[in-house]
Amino acid sequence: MKFVGNTLSIVKKDILLEFRAKEALSIMVFLSLLLIVVFNLAVDIDKDNVSSLAPGILWVVFAFSGVLGMGKTSLSEREDGAYLNVFFSAVSMEVFYIAKVISNLIFLLFMELFTIVSFVVLFNYDALIKGLPALTLPLLLGSIGFSAVGTLFSFLSTGSRFGEIILPFLFLPVVVPVLIAGVSATDLILNNTTGGALLKWLKMLAVFDLLYLTVSLMLFKHIVEE
Amino acid sequence: MLTLIDISKNYGLRPVLRGINLKIDKAEIVVLFGHNGAGKTTLLKISAGITPPTRGRVVVEDQVIKQGGIYYLGHKNSLYSELTVMENIRFFLSMRNGTAMVNSIEETLEEFGLWQRRNDPVKALSQGMKRRLALMKGIISGASLLMLDEPFSGLDLGWKDRVLNKLMALREKGTSLFIATHLINEGCQIADRVALLERGNLTLFHDKTEVNESLIQERLRNEVCR
Repeated sequence: MKFVGNTLSIVKKDILLEFRAKEALSIMVFLSLLLIVVFNLAVDIDKDNVSSLAPGILWVVFAFSGVLGMGKTSLSEREDGAYLNVFFSAVSMEVFYIAKVISNLIFLLFMELFTIVSFVVLFNYDALIKGLPALTLPLLLGSIGFSAVGTLFSFLSTGSRFGEIILPFLFLPVVVPVLIAGVSATDLILNNTTGGALLKWLKMLAVFDLLYLTVSLMLFKHIVEE
Repeated sequence: MLTLIDISKNYGLRPVLRGINLKIDKAEIVVLFGHNGAGKTTLLKISAGITPPTRGRVVVEDQVIKQGGIYYLGHKNSLYSELTVMENIRFFLSMRNGTAMVNSIEETLEEFGLWQRRNDPVKALSQGMKRRLALMKGIISGASLLMLDEPFSGLDLGWKDRVLNKLMALREKGTSLFIATHLINEGCQIADRVALLERGNLTLFHDKTEVNESLIQERLRNEVCR
């Protein structure tokens, strides 16, 4: 019960901080809108090819917008040494990591929902809304993977001088398997293909989530220490 | 309570600490002096477990962990700038599972001159107020060992005296304190034992009465102000 209570306290604090500072979410939402507009202008999308291009565009936006936002949530812990509140408490660093992953996951899912709505409006692609219930699982699994890796690397990078620049370089190569599986699963759902093929990609997302979470849990304490 | 055994620390090839041995007993205040760059902060961080030593080990007695652990205050105040004074305290106590201490919050806030500002965000406080809040957290933490790095920085004369009295009252209750400061008068006033760090080596003055002798004071002055 302590685990749940402590995790909730940290998540609640992160949401309150974000509500006051409006840093992570505003950056994520603004960048996602910007990228969707750029894709809208740069790529020749019509009703014939939108279903094949949408998955790639969406997941690229999720990855780039997400990584910037996650950097901000760890910055609030590092800037005045606030993470030491937890470091010297009865709460383990593993609980702290899990709580930060959940906080980042909430912000990511909010940004993804906003991105999907923006995409539907700008590309006039209603099928995305209809497919949203089926997309929930790949979005959730993909976001867990992003959050697991992003939380770890954001703490690593904010400890260095050029943290916010380094973060995407660390984050993006590692989440390539999540990107591939996420794009493929989304593509199958938007093109009404379900069954074994979809299950294969969902399993891949789940396996990588588990892998990222396990490795990150083992490394997080060492990264938070100097 | 805390024993440092043969602690050495190198930054690159440059040795900062050389074979430091130190023991801090229950209800004892050890004050660490040294000129700028002598390694006071490094030694405190190693003692707290934030920075690993290059050689040697830190032994913290089990009773420290059981009785409320360690509170570390570095140069940073470990505060969330967007949260209010009360929100910072509540989060801090929730991480230490310190609900029993909540009753004393109002009284302590009043004593530290922060009651009127309890609903203000920390970013609206002066540096001195932030330092007082950080010190107050240590006092209400219930920790059995406080490690304070330059605790008096940013405090005016009146507040220095009040904080000194508070820290001495903590010692009477059985709390141990390890304090690094360059303020000789304040440090000598509160110390049970004085340690002087110079060129990576620690000189320890075991006799409490020595601390008040002008000869020792003069040596510290010469070393610290060198």
